Amino acid sequence: MRRRSGVRAVGGAAGVVLAVAAGALALAGSPGGASQEDPFPHADHQGLFPVCSGCHAGVADGEPDRYYPPPGQCVGCHDGVDEERVTWTGASARASNVIFEHVDHASELEGAGDAALSCETCHSDLDTGRMSVDGAEELDTCWSCHAHERVDHYEASAADPCVSCHVPLAESGLDGARLRVLPAPEVHAGDEFLLVGHGPSAEAELGRCATCHVQDQCVDCHVDGTQSSIAALPVAPATMDFPPLESSYPVPSTHDVQGFEAAHPVTDGATCSTCHTSDDCASCHLTPLPDVAAGLPSRSESTAPGAALESAAPATHGSFFFVETHATLAAAEPSTCATCHTESYCVDCHDGPSDGGYHPPGFVSLHPSSAFGQAQECASCHNTAAFCRECHQEVGLGSTGRLGPGYHDAEPLFLLRHGQAARQSLESCASCHQQTDCVQCHGVLGAFQVSPHTEDFDARAAWARSPSTCLACHVSNPVGGGP
Amino acid sequence: MMLSRVRWRVGVTATLALSAVAVPRSLFAQGLRGWTGTTIQAVDLRPFQLTSSGCPSSATCYVQGDDVTSVVGTQDLSVTAWGFGPQGLSATLYARGRTGFGSEAPWPRSGDHFDALLAYVQLVRGGWTVRAGRQEIRSGLGFSSFDGGSASWRRGPFNFEGYGGRSLARGLRDPANEALRGIEDFVPDQSIYLWGGSSRVRLRTTSATLRYQREILSDRSGLASERASLDVTAALPRVRFTGAIDWDFGLERLGKSHLTALTPFADGRWTVSATVRRYVPYFSLSTIWGFFEPVSYTETQARVGWSPVSRVGLWMSGGRRSYGDAEVTVVLRPLEDTGWRGEAGGSWAVSSAWRLDGRYEVEWVPGGFLSSADASVRWSPLERVSMAVTGMSLQQIEQFRVGDGRARGVGFSIAADVTDRLSATGGASVLRHSMSDGGLASPWNQSRAWTSVRVRVGEDPGLANRRGEAGR
Repeated sequence: MRRRSGVRAVGGAAGVVLAVAAGALALAGSPGGASQEDPFPHADHQGLFPVCSGCHAGVADGEPDRYYPPPGQCVGCHDGVDEERVTWTGASARASNVIFEHVDHASELEGAGDAALSCETCHSDLDTGRMSVDGAEELDTCWSCHAHERVDHYEASAADPCVSCHVPLAESGLDGARLRVLPAPEVHAGDEFLLVGHGPSAEAELGRCATCHVQDQCVDCHVDGTQSSIAALPVAPATMDFPPLESSYPVPSTHDVQGFEAAHPVTDGATCSTCHTSDDCASCHLTPLPDVAAGLPSRSESTAPGAALESAAPATHGSFFFVETHATLAAAEPSTCATCHTESYCVDCHDGPSDGGYHPPGFVSLHPSSAFGQAQECASCHNTAAFCRECHQEVGLGSTGRLGPGYHDAEPLFLLRHGQAARQSLESCASCHQQTDCVQCHGVLGAFQVSPHTEDFDARAAWARSPSTCLACHVSNPVGGGP
Repeated sequence: MMLSRVRWRVGVTATLALSAVAVPRSLFAQGLRGWTGTTIQAVDLRPFQLTSSGCPSSATCYVQGDDVTSVVGTQDLSVTAWGFGPQGLSATLYARGRTGFGSEAPWPRSGDHFDALLAYVQLVRGGWTVRAGRQEIRSGLGFSSFDGGSASWRRGPFNFEGYGGRSLARGLRDPANEALRGIEDFVPDQSIYLWGGSSRVRLRTTSATLRYQREILSDRSGLASERASLDVTAALPRVRFTGAIDWDFGLERLGKSHLTALTPFADGRWTVSATVRRYVPYFSLSTIWGFFEPVSYTETQARVGWSPVSRVGLWMSGGRRSYGDAEVTVVLRPLEDTGWRGEAGGSWAVSSAWRLDGRYEVEWVPGGFLSSADASVRWSPLERVSMAVTGMSLQQIEQFRVGDGRARGVGFSIAADVTDRLSATGGASVLRHSMSDGGLASPWNQSRAWTSVRVRVGEDPGLANRRGEAGR
């Protein structure tokens, strides 16, 4: 009977050791052992206590309140006379995320016919003795029986899930100091885990995530924390001093493709809202935002900061020659431009900028050759009659209705040679001359009645489309019949 | 006719004002974005006068008239407001007022005191966008403004659009028959109606838009224009192509077209592009110009840009132009029908505070020769303040003009972002012209000055890169 109780005591002590060891394992994360300073100098009391259960009686009895001795027990020696007084207010059972009870463990060993474990089996080095407890649990002892089927303690296994030994972290009661040193498994390293790894894992094995994580951590990064896998994670109790995760938003490979900024069609924002707030969208998109963008949480609504995008011109804008090529881009895909630019942005230049800026300095002196050569299409912004001609007339260069020497004096026979120049750059002619100037000679009632049409001119088609214009030069239907 | 224009403008203004008063909750509750800008420009010059007295070698010649100063003030207001209740409903107004300050020589269009450049309400719901009011279509056919309605529908990679209304004169914002009366001959008596549509597809990085647009006189007595265009961009892994072509059904001829291939390489430090371009001017069928059958030219052009280091950018381009057969009998020697153009330039951001820009251009085309250069030094002593000094010089020889001349000019400008929402720019320049062909004309010297203040309201990401910078 005495022997049996002794076995129980040893088994109970071993259970204490295992519990602490397992807890330490969960906290320190190194299967080789944890470094946690022993709050009680066991080595200094070597020889004073014959058995562990003298102080840790509750371990064997399954009474957590008596896992540690009461403070008054120290006063027996540390009375200030024989030994100096100590200030120790007592201890309670350490919180742990390991499902372990010493009594149950001892019973299981006994039921299995295994030998009971001594305290030092787990709590100290067997070679140095029972009182060499230093807080660094001998975790290999645990692994000798409880080793996973895999080498890596953190590797996922359907047959050996975390929940078989661990409670969800939110229920563990671990304090902040211990939470801060929770280990990160190797599989968590690298951006790929964040980008593509952890999501499916969470969907498939939420319990595994819950072993080390709480919902509060997910929404440190996730802008939209309403996903089912996040919502299913336990929330950290208010009393739990949980350190926030440092938010990180690596760029997915899907975003790192040519033209992504211009073409990222989305039908719903569920995927986007993992990392992006509506503020991100607004950094480029004009408000009011598109429906999908407006549906994303705003930065003020989210606990996560989001990727915090800043507007940047797309790659096309960085070209040396963007000014010259933007017209076709705008014509082919105007909605892309409209993402960032208001129409006033276009009109501001194309309707004659009020504060200059488009043309190079001194352009008013440069413009004749540019206008004649049509390197730039003046009519994109300017009305030939209401802008060019009006200005030319103001400075004395507009046509006065007479066709004689003057402006074209540099080319004395210009009138006889003007046909080719006119056909080559009729817009330039129209910037000074009114139509009646030409009709003076080219009209059927004009001085010379010179036809301005080529041999291929289809008079019937012209008459069919715009008879009133034909009548500007022809007094009647030029293709037969009256007007 | 003038009275109807005034009535219409007053009507638009009153409607907008009443709208603002009627829905104040919307203006303040949800969102407002826009800017207002005030600009004053002045130029001092001596206009030409045609005279028959004292001309050295001809019966008439140009001389300089009296010195005149022209000053114009422009007030812009661009506002988009939303939150009128129904989701997706917004209203946009871009209005411009102008006035000349007692100038001897009125600034172009300064007599046109008010323009509603844009004034429409828009509803975006699902894939639909519907607009009503004064709006603008920007396309391969150029800019088309009209008073009317438009609707577009987007689904996946496809977008379809239809629009129609009363056409406004190009480059102006008034009905053509009203805006051009008095300054253009043969202006139609009636309004011109515009309608058109487009279909667009975007597949990965390739976009194509096919557009058809027709303008007819309101009594259906004739066409003003009937055209179609195709614009394509394709961003392949190494090359971006842009191409466009349009067809004028009214004149039964090909209009403008171009194809450009642009490729960056060496991590974007080099950019090379090649362009084949065909140009022929577009004229409304309501004018006689199109029936005079202007010829097109075809230009091949190559460009190279090089950024050896991040702060330096250099570029150059060259092109050869060839005109079509004008099919006219020319007395004595014909004019040239080919031309060349070349341009080179560079910029060097010496530091965050200093920047140098320079450019040289030469053109040798039918009708003239031009050689010009300009350079600027910009200094930004503060993040929000920049100043620039610009110099320019040109030589211009024109076959059909008053003569050949050289000009040299210098200018100064300053720009400041006074606050995040308030920016101001200003500057002045002088240009001295000297004629080189024996006094066929007098020099055309100019002095210019301008100042502009702009205030932004709300957020407009598109304006983020347009904050004040002197020497632009």
